[in-house]
Amino acid sequence: MLKDLFVPNAKPRPSVFFTMVACQVVFLLLLWLFYPLQLFPTLGEVLASFKDLVTTQGLIQELWASLTTALGALAIATVLALVIAYLTALPFFRPIAYAASKMRYLTLTGLTFFMALMVSSGHQVKLSVLIFGATVYLVTGMTSVILTTTQEEMDHARTLGMSEWRSFYEVVVLGKLDEMLEVVRQNFAIIWTMITLVETLYQSEGGIGLLLYKQNRYLHLAGVVAIQLVILATGALQDYLFEFLRRMFFPYSDLSVAK
Amino acid sequence: MVDHTYKEPILTLRDISMQFGGEVILRDISLDVLDVVRPGVNQGQVVGFYGRSGVGKSVLCRIIAGLLPPSTGTVMVANPQRPVCPGDVGFVQQRYPLFNHRTLLDNLLVAAGRKHSPADAKAKAQDFLIRFDLAPHRRKYPAMLSGGQRQRAAIAQQLLCSEHLIILDEPFSGLDIAMIDEVKKIIIEVTTSDELNTVVIVSHDLATTTALSDTLWLLGPERDAAGQCLAGATISQKHQYNLAEMGLAWQPGIQAKPEFVQLIEHLKDEIRKT
Ligand SMILES: Nc1ncnc2c1ncn2[C@@H]1O[C@H](COP(=O)(O)OP(=O)(O)OP(=O)(O)O)[C@@H](O)[C@H]1O
Ligand SMILES: [Mg+2]
Repeated sequence: MLKDLFVPNAKPRPSVFFTMVACQVVFLLLLWLFYPLQLFPTLGEVLASFKDLVTTQGLIQELWASLTTALGALAIATVLALVIAYLTALPFFRPIAYAASKMRYLTLTGLTFFMALMVSSGHQVKLSVLIFGATVYLVTGMTSVILTTTQEEMDHARTLGMSEWRSFYEVVVLGKLDEMLEVVRQNFAIIWTMITLVETLYQSEGGIGLLLYKQNRYLHLAGVVAIQLVILATGALQDYLFEFLRRMFFPYSDLSVAK
Repeated sequence: MVDHTYKEPILTLRDISMQFGGEVILRDISLDVLDVVRPGVNQGQVVGFYGRSGVGKSVLCRIIAGLLPPSTGTVMVANPQRPVCPGDVGFVQQRYPLFNHRTLLDNLLVAAGRKHSPADAKAKAQDFLIRFDLAPHRRKYPAMLSGGQRQRAAIAQQLLCSEHLIILDEPFSGLDIAMIDEVKKIIIEVTTSDELNTVVIVSHDLATTTALSDTLWLLGPERDAAGQCLAGATISQKHQYNLAEMGLAWQPGIQAKPEFVQLIEHLKDEIRKT
């Protein structure tokens, strides 16, 4: 039973597996509690500062504000990126997708300055930077999903008498929606990186990024760790949610994956 | 007494050749499939198509199905004859692709819906599910099906939306005896349901396929006068067998006949030589 945990590809029983995970977590916490590192804040300090952040600095509200902004940006970026990626079917639009995916290399700070010149309110700058940043990453992932389409798949649709458009819709659009959702899930993390950065550049809007920035500036290490852990937990929750959505809408999607 | 005559062409290949980046795969293939008419019998055509592995059978199938433009030559289908377009020819590919994001029933429905009204499509799909022994699996996704089930599903899908011509790339591999019989029965049913229906069967199972066929094609490289192999495979005149003319078509229990057994031995020799 226990040795299952050290056999490649073994499938330990769920109860065993979750007990193991719980033990690992507790072990880490104990290690943290009893053997504090020199610079790293202790567990007690982090917890205290978490409590302080929640009660006096509105951590939860800031988190919520950032999260909704992130989700809004992600939704718009997903639609944009899907359209751009699907348009690569038409040779005319291929350069756009190519260019869009290369825009990943634009730096955020320069971009923010540029956006600030174009739109008026701080919120809009924030949103447009996030949308832009997420779109270029999503386009990259999505076009590479589209490129996995095989000759056989397309031929199959064509032999059923489907037109070129219909074949594309059936094989590439419908057939790969699940993988597109996976691309979105993977790139959500990028939005978190960007949002914390953009919020420090655009402080009028607040947000968890600004909170993090303040903790950094006043060298509140415990606060920094607490906020990072909160973001980490939110991210993990998101991943889980996306996974759940995928299972619900695309039950076929991991049927052929090795278990 | 003439027991059959030939009428209009159904499928015509003229001077087909195919190269992939300078490598010649196929050359100078010219073939005709004509509508066979037998008095008192409603009968389509069955072509058996043989050749060594890797010789280019699947490539020729894709060319006939209009999926791959040949380097030279033309493929003509339908009446009056016109150049082939994708969708004119049903083609069950060697690895039996299905839409992985649709359930088995959905796969059949989407194909049937191409030609029939929704109600008809449903009835036809149900009919195929039962005949192909797939009814209990209708809610499953392709990834959950066995190889043979996928194969039957892929054949059913093409039959549901094909016109007169259908190509089966290795329809008998991986099936048990009962299912081979089932597929055979379906091929016979398809060909006897319309004069113009024509099934091309790519197979390594000579006995089963020859027994069903009225024409055989053998694809292989040719040797020149000096005995050197020429680059690229072709179907030469002597490798186009008209079984109807040879008196070896359309007979139940033909597999027991000595002439049939001889023909199979001859085919095996010819395939070995290539
Ligand atoms: N797209 C392609 N590019 C380059 N070469 C190809 C391509 N498609 C097929 N070939 C080559 O053409 C040859 C014939 O392939 P094909 O799939 O037609 O063989 P086959 O006769 O169907 O064999 P099998 O009985 O094993 O299915 C092979 O040597 C293959 O490598
Ligand atoms: Mg093949």
